[in-house]
Amino acid sequence: MDPIRRTLLGQLARLSAGAAMVPLSSVASARINQQPPRREGDPGKRYGMLIDLRQCIGCQACTVSCHIENAAPLGSFRTTVSQYEVAHQETGEVATFMLPRLCNHCENPPCVPVCPVEATFQRQDGIVVVDSDRCVGCAYCVNACPYDARFINERTQTADKCTFCAHRLEAGLLPACVESCVGGARIIGDMRDPESQISRMIAEHREELMVLQPEKNTLPQVFYLGMDERFVTRPDAEPVALDVLDPHGQEMGYEFRH
Amino acid sequence: MNSAIELLAPRYDIAWYPWAVQYFFLIALSYATLWLAVPALVFGKQRWLPTARLALLACLTTTLVAPVALLADLHQPLRFWHFYAYANSHSWMSIGSLILPLYVVGVIVLAWLAWRPALQAHRQVPGLSGLVARWVSLGDAPTPRALLVLVGLGTLALSTGIMLYTGAEVAIVKARPLWHTVWLPPMFVATGFIAASGLILVLNRVAGERSTTVSRQMLKVLLGACLFAGMIAGSWFLDGINANVGSVAAAMESVRGSAEWRSTALWGGLTGVVLFGAVLTLLTRPASRRPALHAWAWVLGLVALHVGWMFRWVVLMDVQTVARHSAGFHHYGIPAGSSGILGIVGTFGLWLAALLLVDLFVPWRQARQGGSAADISPAEPASHDVEGAPSHG
Repeated sequence: MDPIRRTLLGQLARLSAGAAMVPLSSVASARINQQPPRREGDPGKRYGMLIDLRQCIGCQACTVSCHIENAAPLGSFRTTVSQYEVAHQETGEVATFMLPRLCNHCENPPCVPVCPVEATFQRQDGIVVVDSDRCVGCAYCVNACPYDARFINERTQTADKCTFCAHRLEAGLLPACVESCVGGARIIGDMRDPESQISRMIAEHREELMVLQPEKNTLPQVFYLGMDERFVTRPDAEPVALDVLDPHGQEMGYEFRH
Repeated sequence: MNSAIELLAPRYDIAWYPWAVQYFFLIALSYATLWLAVPALVFGKQRWLPTARLALLACLTTTLVAPVALLADLHQPLRFWHFYAYANSHSWMSIGSLILPLYVVGVIVLAWLAWRPALQAHRQVPGLSGLVARWVSLGDAPTPRALLVLVGLGTLALSTGIMLYTGAEVAIVKARPLWHTVWLPPMFVATGFIAASGLILVLNRVAGERSTTVSRQMLKVLLGACLFAGMIAGSWFLDGINANVGSVAAAMESVRGSAEWRSTALWGGLTGVVLFGAVLTLLTRPASRRPALHAWAWVLGLVALHVGWMFRWVVLMDVQTVARHSAGFHHYGIPAGSSGILGIVGTFGLWLAALLLVDLFVPWRQARQGGSAADISPAEPASHDVEGAPSHG
């Protein structure tokens, strides 16, 4: 399409019905949906995670240990490792790509301002948590997270998510996923401390680090080293074994029905 | 990209259940029917009175049932009071939770004011109906017209708040590109008016009114709403091919990647065009043939209701099956229980019960812009001898 016609179509689009909505959208961007003040946690720290994909072998030890540590219901995950089988289009050579995923504890978390009762909030150390005694289970935050990091816990009927194992951090322990990672691929730490391992690694690899879906402007604080940029947004792939539970709610064997 | 498959792609359940569709559908019917009742009840346009009476009936009943569906969509419904204990101004849902009760009260008071003169005229009727009329009408002082106008205008203002918050609540969700468009809120309103005029066409037939004035007015509203919806859909699409708008791009990708989405898009487009064409045909027939044709307008009403409901189903349910960060689509089968089929049927059942209760005890066919019992003359042009106890069919 030539540029003039494009511009004309664009003008037409703006002139028509939606024109009335323009002032309303500016109202919306004024105050509503802005981040509320952070509360609780240590204001002197900012936790973040760096995942060195070069060290990840996709063993799912993190998935399992997180599941046990945080007692998530079967079929729901606070963290999991996406595994892709990639075939080279010309040579047919097959390689695997691993992508551990968890809550990104974003600097601009879209799940927090939507909460109608402020049950989910960001602590001053950056960790995004849910007060399950206050949560009404409206699931707005589940829909607002672009990373599928949240779910409604079927047992508590409230929103559930990764907390960087805040209860373990407070006790001086590492999160379950970090503790169990056989390759040492997950590095957690205080990014305000220039001497921490994560700060040093961020400084060293600053140019190579990538985050997931940067275009959403959520400013994720989980950084990937050794990332392929084609997996930063939703990859163009075919799914296999979507089901973990059978229709009766029982765990089933993985079927590779490709 | 080389060809890739995602092994062990987890299935993420949908987070909002069909209850949400029921709420969005009923609340849209509620605010749109309010707007259709207002010309006669607030601005005193007598030609719109028959429409307003049906619209007020639809408005009150949908307004009463909608919050029930909303409450049911919470996973912790008994914690609803947290909305008020921890109210805030940064969440659209919280803002909505403050507007909604005020709006519900506004509609109830408006309906009560409009029905009060007729209720007062029924105080002497023997039996339960008279008892209810005596009890509900609260004395026989006349109902000031100014009060009705005032409450009507207030409720109208609150209804725009409902339109705004229900649309914005969904449209701000960046995580779902199909929702994240400024065109979604006006489309909710447009399809709301399509469904509302459809509902009034159906009620016009089912309640035995069969007023050609009502069907003509509603067909005109339907035509306008269809045009408006078409313009919005067109603008959304033009915006998308003109610039890189995530919502349109995501829609194209879904349609390309899934046969279900292709058929949904085809069905939606086709139904809209057919509805628009049929309404236009009905309105442009020669006057002599109109009464015979208008008797069938209720069929178009059913189609319009289908459009309004399906739009919400596709937007709220189907969009949740589009994976955000994993491969493919999440399959969603509607469960049979209360979070699925039973919930959908149950909500409509509750609405029907509310409708029948009002029909049983309230002389809604004599709703008027205030006044006193004396204004309800027995010679009211209603063709039925006893109002409220109508001949259906």
